[in-house]
Amino acid sequence: MSIAQVTDAVIDIEEVRKKYRGGVEALRGVSLKVPRGQIFGLLGPNGAGKSTLVKILLTIVRASQCRGEMLGKPVGDQATLSRVGYLPEHARFPEYLKGREVLRYVAGLGGVAKADAIKKSQELLEVVGMEDWANRKMGSYSKGMKQRIGLAQALVNDPEIVFLDEPTDGVDPKGRLEMRAVLNRMKDEGRTVFVNSHLLGELEMICDSVAIMDQGQIVRQGTIAELTEKTRRYEIGVMGALGSEILGKLKTHGVNMEADRLTMYHQDAGEVQPVIDLLRAADVTITSMTEVRQSLEELFMETVGDKGPGAAMPPKLPKKEKA
Amino acid sequence: MTQILTIFWDSYRLLTAKRLFWVALGLSILIALLYASVNVGENGISVLFGAYEWASPGGIPAFLAQYIYLTTFTNVLVPFWLGLFAIVLALISVCSVFPNFLESGSIDVAVSKPISRVTLFFTKYLSSLLFVGVQVLVFCVIVFIAFGLRMESWNFGIFWAVPLIIFVFSLIYSVAVLIAVWTKSTLLSLLMAFLVWGVSWGFQAAESFLYKMAYTIPSAGLKMDYSTGESEQSDTPQELDPGLAQIHRVVKLVAVPLPKTRDATYLLKTKIKINGKDLTQKGAFLAEEDDTSMQNIHKAEEELANRHSESYVIGSSLAFEAVILSLACFIFVKRDY
Ligand SMILES: Nc1ncnc2c1ncn2[C@@H]1O[C@H](COP(=O)(O)OP(=O)(O)OP(=O)(O)O)[C@@H](O)[C@H]1O
Ligand SMILES: [Mg+2]
Repeated sequence: MSIAQVTDAVIDIEEVRKKYRGGVEALRGVSLKVPRGQIFGLLGPNGAGKSTLVKILLTIVRASQCRGEMLGKPVGDQATLSRVGYLPEHARFPEYLKGREVLRYVAGLGGVAKADAIKKSQELLEVVGMEDWANRKMGSYSKGMKQRIGLAQALVNDPEIVFLDEPTDGVDPKGRLEMRAVLNRMKDEGRTVFVNSHLLGELEMICDSVAIMDQGQIVRQGTIAELTEKTRRYEIGVMGALGSEILGKLKTHGVNMEADRLTMYHQDAGEVQPVIDLLRAADVTITSMTEVRQSLEELFMETVGDKGPGAAMPPKLPKKEKA
Repeated sequence: MTQILTIFWDSYRLLTAKRLFWVALGLSILIALLYASVNVGENGISVLFGAYEWASPGGIPAFLAQYIYLTTFTNVLVPFWLGLFAIVLALISVCSVFPNFLESGSIDVAVSKPISRVTLFFTKYLSSLLFVGVQVLVFCVIVFIAFGLRMESWNFGIFWAVPLIIFVFSLIYSVAVLIAVWTKSTLLSLLMAFLVWGVSWGFQAAESFLYKMAYTIPSAGLKMDYSTGESEQSDTPQELDPGLAQIHRVVKLVAVPLPKTRDATYLLKTKIKINGKDLTQKGAFLAEEDDTSMQNIHKAEEELANRHSESYVIGSSLAFEAVILSLACFIFVKRDY
């Protein structure tokens, strides 16, 4: 990584630890760099500590230990928060306020001047497609509408970084599509977008880079291309059953056979050619050949495994033996 | 500044969205109008704008009419409506403010903004006082106008009720807030607020009663025979009972750290003045010149009403509030949301 990239990380934290009261170790030494101007996805199973990490950056939760900076200021600096937008997980806004007023309320709390807040709210209501509903109370909105207002309020102070914790929670497929468009728009405007999610397909579509978190630690980090590169494979579709003779030969080439599909793990298409020759020589009909990259989901499952939800629980103290 | 104004604006929106606020305001206005319908004039007393009248043959002098009119306000309306029912309604309405504010998903938005948690806490607390503030202000404006029109005297002392009642409410509400930031439970915070209010009211009432028994009655020249229930009036002050005085001292001592909700409400009487005399100076308004025993009684009652200094009532209550709010603020600031 070049120096320029390092200095242009909007978030650069090291060894962040958090132990909640009650002993749950939610973060166990997290180090993370988020480059400016990207859509960054933080993945992880339930209870991995994703929300905890975001909350620490936003001063909602105090870290047990934290070194590092956000936007060039130490984590926890109050003034920096005016340059940051946030949509919390399960966001709840005052029911008695109208959609438009929620934006004004959040802008006001963020210290945005009234005139700017009014202008920005109107603009954002259009962006998230809520201008027709803007003068109704939050209490009358559906879940997805609330989430749209939630997205808009995260942008009302013109932030440099936007944190979105499970933004597509409760949003229908059309809404998700629109939300992705909004996220891309944020990126085009030069903002850094930090998304927490476990909806992998979605992140795969929009994220420039991702980090995978499990049990309070970052287990993988990189661009999606980088992460899925290592596991490139080729699949050849064939018609009809193969004879046992050819099957034996294919085995020696490291080919896995599964129904009418042959799979081999190679980085280079050249290495696949002998297999094709072999198949053609045996007069096997080839229906397709595709280069397959591992999906984020596969990578995720491979990385995280099936340990079940939750952070590392504190070790149970052995019961005192009675004398 | 924008941030503080925003929190106040939000609280204003919250209270106008509450049905209970309008119900309480409606009742306040109704009661104030009922009060305004009373006339204490030279010919006697009439209520409901003259629908019922009681003639007073001797006539009522202007200062006495004012005295009667204002003591109705300070001794009935303020302690029972503003100081009790209006506060109960206000507590029920605003006790959910902090628990709602602290819900996850809602508090996250507020504490992730460039505003210190201490400022956030106190602004939110103060803005919750708007509810009673508006109620009391509207009430006092009506009372002030009614009094002014009827008596042709504009007594601004009436408006002392606004800060006093807000102060009394803030004392009780601070307990609700402490329990709310601690447990996030609306119900528990309401119950605890009522409990603390009730207990401190009980101690103040007991202290007042004991003072009356130990000091007021003897110095008024009244001699009570508790076995027969008969009393005897003499022109000279009676001896004090040291036992009663001792009990009074103990109760007063216990009441020192408690919020003086009741005493603070009655401070209003010392704040409203007619011709330079405040409403506790009963003798100045009611006593016959030559009736010494009556004068003694009024003097003793005046002493009872002024037994606590203003600084004691306000100061000890403020100390209580400061401790409770510091604790609540501490929890609010230190907590992980
Ligand atoms: N306020 C809290 N007090 C105590 N423990 C907490 C608190 N918040 C979270 N935890 C614990 O910390 C761990 C991490 O939680 P966190 O909410 O950060 O996970 P997450 O990755 O966001 O999960 P999800 O995908 O379900 O949102 C969990 O084990 C959780 O029980
Ligand atoms: Mg989460």
